[in-house]
Amino acid sequence: MNANILASLISLVSLLPTLAQQSLDSAYRTTGTAVVAAFDPQRQVLQRSSAVILNGRQELCYGIVISADGHILTKASEILGSSTWDVTVDATKYPDAKLLMTDPTWDVALLKIEAKDLQPVVYAPTSDVPPGTWVVANGATTRTTRRLLAGIVSAKIREIPPAGGAALGVILKTKSKSLEIEDLSEKSGAKEAGLQKGDILLTIEGRKVKKLEDIATILKDRKAGSTVKIVYRRGEKELSADVRLASRSEMFTDQMNRNDQMSGEFSNHRSGFPRVMQHDILGAASVVGGPLLDLDGRCLGMNIARANRAESFAIPVEDLKTLAERMMAESTR
Amino acid sequence: MSLNFMMNLVWISAMIVFLPWCAFALEDRPYVNDLKAPENRKDLEALQNAVSSALPKARAATVCIEIKDGSGSGVIISADGLILTAAHVATGVKQKVTVILEDGTRLKAETLGLVADSDAAMIQITEKGTYPFVEIDRTDSTRLGDWVFALGHSGGYDKDRGAVLRLGRLVRIAGTTFQSDCMLIGGDSGGPLFDLTGKLVGIHSRVGQQMQVNMHVPMAEFVSHWDGMRNAEFIGEGPYAEKPKKGNGFLGLATEPGAAGGLKVTKVGRKSPAEAAGIKEGDVLFKMNGVALKDRGQMQDLLEEMSAGNEVTLETERGGKPKTFSLALGER
Repeated sequence: MNANILASLISLVSLLPTLAQQSLDSAYRTTGTAVVAAFDPQRQVLQRSSAVILNGRQELCYGIVISADGHILTKASEILGSSTWDVTVDATKYPDAKLLMTDPTWDVALLKIEAKDLQPVVYAPTSDVPPGTWVVANGATTRTTRRLLAGIVSAKIREIPPAGGAALGVILKTKSKSLEIEDLSEKSGAKEAGLQKGDILLTIEGRKVKKLEDIATILKDRKAGSTVKIVYRRGEKELSADVRLASRSEMFTDQMNRNDQMSGEFSNHRSGFPRVMQHDILGAASVVGGPLLDLDGRCLGMNIARANRAESFAIPVEDLKTLAERMMAESTR
Repeated sequence: MSLNFMMNLVWISAMIVFLPWCAFALEDRPYVNDLKAPENRKDLEALQNAVSSALPKARAATVCIEIKDGSGSGVIISADGLILTAAHVATGVKQKVTVILEDGTRLKAETLGLVADSDAAMIQITEKGTYPFVEIDRTDSTRLGDWVFALGHSGGYDKDRGAVLRLGRLVRIAGTTFQSDCMLIGGDSGGPLFDLTGKLVGIHSRVGQQMQVNMHVPMAEFVSHWDGMRNAEFIGEGPYAEKPKKGNGFLGLATEPGAAGGLKVTKVGRKSPAEAAGIKEGDVLFKMNGVALKDRGQMQDLLEEMSAGNEVTLETERGGKPKTFSLALGER
């Protein structure tokens, strides 16, 4: 009985704050306005050097300003479902951005807007910062003002191997010894590359394909995220395209596991990255493509995926810098 | 349960008088906890520095727990390997589990007791050793709005990634639950929530439909059931663990009194635990779990006290030679 009273006493102590004050006002929570206000210097960097990528009035994702004359890096798979893009930097809207090129390995696109005197991001010297280090990224946005979310570096830099097998994302039917596309998955590389229903596949990577087994053989050892060259026939014309192989789990979202089901929105393309840093900024799934900043406002990387409810990935600055320089060089060639 | 609750109510009125008593200031309490929000870079760096100095010890003590169909997390709180975790990770008492340390070392362990209605549980590493551990907050010093950090093996153990770190605040305190805005996911369950000094203040339990709702079992809940849990008791009625039903165990054999004492097996059920263990018709059972078997009724009584999954050792004779069988009871 004595023990019982003691036990009650102890559990009672935990009840006491309940009586006084139960719940922390949302402004003081980690994503709340009062906490976020402490990051105003970093917010100003987002205001100048992050971009909002729009299709009409719909915000697709964010981007990083990497040149004064309007080169913007963003997450490719978030924008390739549209064919025209407007870009907002600071309070100015730049219409009709040009898509210069994409990099399927990192899922990054390079856009160009007609602008001058923009302020490109300043790269941080290294992404090798200890876990617990503050990081800042784009939160929601208004037409003129960038908002932010803050979090911390939460795990070691590493590769995220592709999840599930690699696939074109098409349903094929055999028609007089040829393979005709009967349907395409909305999130497939085939759809992104412009393939359509009724197209006849002729070759993949230079090898003739006449039956389904031919395709299985060619794709067997390929990774999601890599591309294959496909030659196909549409009507009388023979066309070709570089098609990104997507992972099955990315295209067929009904194959969600328990953790996916509790995660709300997540990026469709969230695996198959050579190297990522991980942090705990967990906004909407569209909060990708923009810069990850340190407290000095320098760019530590690019937010590339909201993987699930508890994990966000960014391309580390070393890789991002190399990629940006290579894409700039190749696009001006 | 309802009696306990009533007593709480009675004691609340008695305790309110002593409230100022509890409001003592802790010397090592970081000043940022007493700001409504960090205001500038100095405050942010104070937070960041507190986390990074507490992190190495906290990380070393955080473990992954492998159970039958999945994995959870836990945290070591003594050098000899006592672990706190969630009841829904332990699933039951005296279950064999595997504990994985941050560096990948795999260790044998056994679940001790649990509190089924608040999601608290203990596990003991059964391999001898000196393990990294953290201190627990026995004084319930955490307050609403305090900054906390979570560790856990989100989605399972991943050596290249390590345990995942998340920062947040204690946003709600209600009964036997802390709520924080440290984002949790499957695999984190049973993992530790720390204050800025690296003291263990909670164990991850569950998440809500809304993204920002993450629940933890406060240390006070562990402290109040400490001895029962250490003694491998199944406390409470659920919902976080299902109490094993007594008498639902099943051996799968029929017996008659043996000519020279004991019980002679007259029939072994097909695909029964007895058959799987290798018991055959004609074997004579003398002892079950060390207790001499006198007649069928007594053996039935012994089985009635056990549950499906319990280990049974049978000492028998076959053709005059002693033979010992070990098996787990099936579910009837």
